[in-house]
Amino acid sequence: MLNKIFSKQNRALTRELVITDFKLKYQGSFLGYLWSLLRPLLLFLILYIVFVKFLKIGNGVPHFPIYLLLGIILWNFFLDLTLQGLTSIVGRGDLIRKVKIPRWIIVFSSSISALITFLLNFTVVILFMVFSGVSITWNILWLPLYLLELYVFASGISLFLSATYVKFRDIGYIWEVLLQAGFYLTPILYPLSKISNISFQKLIMINPVAQVIQDMRYSLITKNSVTVEKVFNNGPYSLVPFLIVIIVFTFGALHFKKQSRYFAENI
Amino acid sequence: MENVIKVQGLTKTFRLPHERKSSLKSSLISVFNSGSQSYEIQTVLDDINFTVKKGDFFGIVGKNGSGKSTLLKLLAGIYYPTKGEIEARGKITPFIELGVGFNPELSGRDNVYLNGALLGFTRKEMEVMYDEIVGFAELERFMDQKLKNYSSGMQVRLAFSIAIKAQGDILILDEVLAVGDESFQRKCFNYFDQLKKDKKTVILVTHDMSSVKRFCSKALLLVDGKIAVMGDTVKVASEYARLNQSNS
Repeated sequence: MLNKIFSKQNRALTRELVITDFKLKYQGSFLGYLWSLLRPLLLFLILYIVFVKFLKIGNGVPHFPIYLLLGIILWNFFLDLTLQGLTSIVGRGDLIRKVKIPRWIIVFSSSISALITFLLNFTVVILFMVFSGVSITWNILWLPLYLLELYVFASGISLFLSATYVKFRDIGYIWEVLLQAGFYLTPILYPLSKISNISFQKLIMINPVAQVIQDMRYSLITKNSVTVEKVFNNGPYSLVPFLIVIIVFTFGALHFKKQSRYFAENI
Repeated sequence: MENVIKVQGLTKTFRLPHERKSSLKSSLISVFNSGSQSYEIQTVLDDINFTVKKGDFFGIVGKNGSGKSTLLKLLAGIYYPTKGEIEARGKITPFIELGVGFNPELSGRDNVYLNGALLGFTRKEMEVMYDEIVGFAELERFMDQKLKNYSSGMQVRLAFSIAIKAQGDILILDEVLAVGDESFQRKCFNYFDQLKKDKKTVILVTHDMSSVKRFCSKALLLVDGKIAVMGDTVKVASEYARLNQSNS
């Protein structure tokens, strides 16, 4: 089955769609691809001024600016992937009505675009880490797994959203509101330890995005990052985020598969 | 000759809501007066059965609204059948429209590769065909320019060249392809002639009887989503003419 999914034709198509995406994205901009690197750099500058110099929120967390930047970049990856996924099917309605291509490839290629943008941002984080003397440990080996988890979670949501958006446009607005709520309910701008109520900490850490962000900070930057295992004292509930990822992806993929037969007539 | 396409009991219905609900407000309103939540079921194709053999030049004819385009899209795998099945052996290359996915902001070259990938060709296969495509379109000098700077004639030429060179085992052609000026139409018809000579398996969808008689070896006539006649083109043509007369 994997052979069929990653057939030559599908790979070629994904590749062309991703290249097209990138070419169009920086169309007519003077600095072009450089913006992919400039954006996180400038973001870092703002974060540093506001949160480190003005607010001093992260006192006690070593390398707080990088800690912050990593969190924001991971969140932006999640946001980009799901928002681009949401409109991917409807946005490519012209293709869906006229050629037979596996529908999921459209969502997949938009997710790859988001992944590439993330990896460019991530290199900036790595550069900052090297320059500010963050000691790199063997824990870095966990990184690809966390990334994979976040990617699978976001893709599952994308599949669900893109298929639903075809017939029910309100889902776009609903998702935007949820994303805004999610941004503040995820420990991105503040360290989790600032929340004194342990039950709230537990609730927050059930969210797979929060779990991934905290785990990645833990394995890359500082042992100060409160992970899901710490919140639940290594109890069985610390597996909940992973279960959520599996459930969301399975449900999203099944929903997409069922709906995709009728995309051409419903768009 | 072996069957390459076998269509059995093919039925396609569409649900046409009287009022399209694609926002929360309208769905909320319709929840309250659920009586008005009505839709019509329109049967566009009803129990269609036919087979296409290897090397057939198969015509599908019918007037506007007879279900031709729906049948075409079902064969191309764009629509999903409500009932029945379609078995196809070999790679189907459908041309429902020229230049699918063409993007004005990309160069001619990028558009060729993108279009090729959409039709199911790999990069390598396209690289082999690339020079021929560009040559046939007579656009060698313009391939690095953006498509938006092409004249519409140049765009059509490029799209048509891809369609001609990028061939699969079974071709599905919409006769709408043969639009444009006279010289372009002639080019299309020459291409159809060539396909016929090469014994390619082709399905041609059209409402023009003269092209059916000229190219097709077999045809079927669709009337209101059902097969009225099938087989010999002369028989299909005379039935089609009779139908048109009785209506007017």
